[in-house]
Amino acid sequence: MKDIKLRIKSVENTMQITKAMELVASSKLKKARDRMESARPYFMTLFNTLNDIAAYTVDFSSPFLVKRPVKKSAYVLIAGDRGLAGGYNNNMFKLFTAHSQDKNAVVIPVGKKAVDFCKRRNIEIFTEEYSQVEDLSSADCTDIGDLLSDSFEKGEIDEVFICYTTFVSMLSQSPEIIQVLPLVSVNADTYQRNTITEYEPDPEELFHMLVPQFVTGLVYGAVTESWASELAARRTAMDAASKNAQEMVSGLSLQYNRARQAAITQEITEIVAGAGEG
Amino acid sequence: MATFNLKIFSPYGVHFEGEAEAITLRTVTGDVSIWPNHSNTVTALDVGRCSVVINGEKRVGVCNRGLLNVTKNNVEVLAATFEWKEDIDLERAQSELERRKKELADAKDEKSIARAKIRVKRELIRTQVKTEN
Repeated sequence: MKDIKLRIKSVENTMQITKAMELVASSKLKKARDRMESARPYFMTLFNTLNDIAAYTVDFSSPFLVKRPVKKSAYVLIAGDRGLAGGYNNNMFKLFTAHSQDKNAVVIPVGKKAVDFCKRRNIEIFTEEYSQVEDLSSADCTDIGDLLSDSFEKGEIDEVFICYTTFVSMLSQSPEIIQVLPLVSVNADTYQRNTITEYEPDPEELFHMLVPQFVTGLVYGAVTESWASELAARRTAMDAASKNAQEMVSGLSLQYNRARQAAITQEITEIVAGAGEG
Repeated sequence: MATFNLKIFSPYGVHFEGEAEAITLRTVTGDVSIWPNHSNTVTALDVGRCSVVINGEKRVGVCNRGLLNVTKNNVEVLAATFEWKEDIDLERAQSELERRKKELADAKDEKSIARAKIRVKRELIRTQVKTEN
């Protein structure tokens, strides 16, 4: 009986924690969602526009437009700072592992869990400076953008991908990988290569200026999406955990009450039996 | 009057979406005005004043870096930051300007000096746009 009581206590304590975490995630989620929703149109348009520009550009003087043999692929891997968010971190890592299987990958991990993951798997890390996803500022995104564009232009890396989690709804988030560099068009066929477009200044210089901003914008967008997804995933996971705990407590209480009743019944039987003898 | 479809986006939201008659922006090679039926153009933006004519009325804002893309009478402005004149808080802009100036004075290496310069310029333009008539 004592065991059951202790067990109920410990489950109740856990439930308090999961409830608290759910509340924290909910309150942060609202802010994160607002931020994500303001960034989303920019994020989408930026990605499409630059790739479209790349698709109808016939001038290949800019290294950002040219596909070259891939020796090294860079990934920006965005995951959470903490666990307890259901499959959020693991789904991302699974997708990343599948994607980077035959590549010589170098990673910029964003989020503590991403850093841990890379260390555990002995994946080469570019820089560990951005390990906190929650306080990542737009200045940090600029740094990442500059760093990646610079290394790409110098030929140190030949591909750049961003791994992030899209926020589909409060209940569903899905990990995704987008190719950032070199610029490739998703819908290249819809553009005629002979469209006349003016570039100010020339394409080489122009892409040199635009690409760092492009990468920065995408990193920023991906981080806001992932952060909102993480909180939503945590909220759902914690909600489920609280419900499970609730179920366990009621199951255990039933057991406890039965045991108690059995003990009382036995005692009464003993007393009655004792009284009958005397 | 002829119009074109204008969209102004930044990571902080959609600042304008609709028909406009003209837009003037500071690009890296100087001021550029776009009128309806402009040829397809791609250019990079600098920090600067931006004015848009919507329904015969002029709206002024501050556009900070980014991309201008004109395709078939669709104009997209993708700015790193964008603010309409009426949304600028003058007091804050002035205190930011002082702060950024201090940052510039304290900046040591080349990279941070270049960055601080851009920031000072941005705050200068913000206060200028806000105080102009």
